[in-house]
Amino acid sequence: MKLLLLIFLVQAVLLTIYLPASQGTVQPMDARLIEQTCKQTPLYNLCVSILKSDSRSSKADVTGLALIMVDVLKAKATGTRNYITRLLRGNLKRDVRHGLSSCADVYNAVLEADVPVAIEALQKGNPKFAEQAANDAAIEASSCERSFSGHSPLTKSNKSMQDVSSVAAAIVRLLL
Amino acid sequence: MLESDPFRDFSKHEDPSIALPCSYISLPDGPHTRELASARRMPPKGAIFKVFSGVLMLASFFAIIVGGRNSDVHANGNALLATSTSSMASEPLRPVSRGVSAGVSEKANRVFSGIEVVSFPWNNTMLSWQRTAYHFQPEKNWMNDPNGPMYYKGWYHFFYQYNPNGPVWGDIVWGHAASKDLIHWLHLPLAMVADQWYDLNGVWTGSATLLPDGRVIMLYTGSTNESVQVQNLAYPANLSDPLLVNWEKYSGNPVLRPPPGVDLKDFRDPTTAWYTSDGKWNIAIGSKVNKTGITLIYHTEDFKSYELLDGVLHAVPGTGMWECVDFYPVSKISGKGLDTSANGPEVKHVLKTSLDNDKNDYYAIGTYDEKAGRWVPDNSKIGIELRYDYGIFYASKSFYDLHKGRRVLWGWIKESDSEIADVKKGWASVQSIPRTVLLDTKTGTNLLQWPVEEVDSLRLTSREFERVEVKAGSVVPLDIDAATQLDIFAEFELDKEALEMTAQTNVEFSCSTSGGAAERGALGPFGLLVLADDSLSEQTPVYFFVAKGTDGNLKTFFCADQTRSSEATDVNKQIYGSSVPVLKDEKLSVRILVDHSIVEIFAQGGRTCITSRVYPTKAIYGAARLFLFNNATGASVTSSVKIWQMNSAFIRPFQPGQDA
Repeated sequence: MKLLLLIFLVQAVLLTIYLPASQGTVQPMDARLIEQTCKQTPLYNLCVSILKSDSRSSKADVTGLALIMVDVLKAKATGTRNYITRLLRGNLKRDVRHGLSSCADVYNAVLEADVPVAIEALQKGNPKFAEQAANDAAIEASSCERSFSGHSPLTKSNKSMQDVSSVAAAIVRLLL
Repeated sequence: MLESDPFRDFSKHEDPSIALPCSYISLPDGPHTRELASARRMPPKGAIFKVFSGVLMLASFFAIIVGGRNSDVHANGNALLATSTSSMASEPLRPVSRGVSAGVSEKANRVFSGIEVVSFPWNNTMLSWQRTAYHFQPEKNWMNDPNGPMYYKGWYHFFYQYNPNGPVWGDIVWGHAASKDLIHWLHLPLAMVADQWYDLNGVWTGSATLLPDGRVIMLYTGSTNESVQVQNLAYPANLSDPLLVNWEKYSGNPVLRPPPGVDLKDFRDPTTAWYTSDGKWNIAIGSKVNKTGITLIYHTEDFKSYELLDGVLHAVPGTGMWECVDFYPVSKISGKGLDTSANGPEVKHVLKTSLDNDKNDYYAIGTYDEKAGRWVPDNSKIGIELRYDYGIFYASKSFYDLHKGRRVLWGWIKESDSEIADVKKGWASVQSIPRTVLLDTKTGTNLLQWPVEEVDSLRLTSREFERVEVKAGSVVPLDIDAATQLDIFAEFELDKEALEMTAQTNVEFSCSTSGGAAERGALGPFGLLVLADDSLSEQTPVYFFVAKGTDGNLKTFFCADQTRSSEATDVNKQIYGSSVPVLKDEKLSVRILVDHSIVEIFAQGGRTCITSRVYPTKAIYGAARLFLFNNATGASVTSSVKIWQMNSAFIRPFQPGQDA
């Protein structure tokens, strides 16, 4: 009997602690922080959907939210760069190949320069460099898009990069 | 703006093999992962248990949630964001561009305002031209803030924030160089690296204090292994080495940790110390509380233990974090610099800050009450009116040069091209030419900055053009040999009749919102076109614009226009500038230092300064030209110009046995 009671109490305590988390509920305060933060970015819905779908956001402060957004930026840039590499293996018209090569350089720069700088600046408490890096990523994406004289095969990727970069930059601005 | 979820678009229409980002993206290793640790998870227990413990759980559930959440809210920034009113809704206290106050920086504006940016195909010829000949820069990689400038045993020392690993910010350590004359620099080994727990994440900005007994104190900010900002003490390992190559860190570091009420990441850039009559040394450190920028003062006697003074030296709401605070006296009467500890009835004090949120340096002149530990500005709230420089100029730091009795100012001049170009060229940033700083005794309300006189030693041949008439709407070529390394001094006089006849206007002029040099007015713009090519497809106008206000008085503006500086679209294309005080009977005058990709401009003896970065694709090497221009609609202008070719400063690594 005592053992059962003990088990019950332990379960009760564990459930109390983990029940809300296990159901994936975003706590009232977390949701408010995400919403308040995202209101101050140019793309509220995008910002909210990215942050809410990342489990780290429930425990993150504004710096943490910025780092999540930079992580997403990094994932997108990586994806785009890999896609460009695959496209370049195919049979392409010269101007498309030329544009893609330009874009490869651009996305390499984003991954080698902008992303590491943004992460380091946010982690070490010097956020203005993160803002500059995020803004630069947006500009690089835009310039990749314009390096195609005709149709761009990367329009959606570039737009996506610009969007996420602008949101990241806006979140970082809140830290300044 | 369309706000569809880009994840879905991205993967569905383009490349099915790209993995959807999942919520378990691994984080890069770093010290500051506390905040992002996911809550540990337990798989949901069976429904039976949930039902079984139902009502009883609810009570404890709420108790724990409410209690637990309160402590979580105090993670960095949460409380500030939750309780403060929306920062973007507050009124800007100073005229910043729409971009900044709307939470979007200037660089992003280039994208979102529809300007078409293309990655320019920079080649090595164009990129290598961009390196300066007589401005301080390391041989490669990234540099930012000037640190610890000083004069010691016959050498000027300069330290700087440096990334030894690449041309972008990161892995910051202290670079070091020495010079006999502030111009010819010799690179020395790194002075300090991130080798202690208290500066493992960055050996950041600091200042030197020279003690009367000959000791040298260096205070600097370290970003600890947990990214907390602390202040540390370092000193030369060997005071008899005039080159001060080796440095030691005090074994009891850090000497200062963030005080209560201030965020652990809002505490950096200690100043040079000044001595007050109570027998104490004082240092200032910038910080912020919510969005109010503040300057903290500490007392010390041994630079190892400190006492925080009550209150703050000064604070301005809405300005955000104050970086690189500088605090120094200027003389009201003499044309000489003052030691940092000077005080008295003939002394004013300058408080300066670098504002993190708009990347500009602001200063104000005021009065220091050393007993109260307070400083009060004469006229304006700091952060509103006066900038050292209306172009790119940040993290500036001054020092008292006891060798020549002057106060000298350094400023960090970053790039305004794209990072991809910086990566290609392998370096980023230069320093301004060191400038003397004095109170403008004629106006009393601003400082004067002027390149140190030693820069004149670089002058080679010169050409003079006297009283050239530049009619309205004309361009006059100035026939000189090369045009990429120049020291130019020009004076201008507007046609007097035109001045009197011009109608008044109540239109407010501003360099940054104007149409640049192409926008014609009755009395301007007129000035010089630097780094221009023959066809003027690339040009950087530096000019005056005179307007007659509704009171009949003339107001003069001074601008530098980057909008046509380069055919490349991935470089900054702003118009910098401000109004400039012009006293009765003064001619309009400007000094311009052209040094490849940097142009430093000083109007009216240094009352208004503009530093610009310029990246032409055609107006480089032998194709660069210099012109006078006058784009006013009616008034003609007479100009006298003297132009010197400038030598290189041959900045290079120090070789033993060599003199500067």
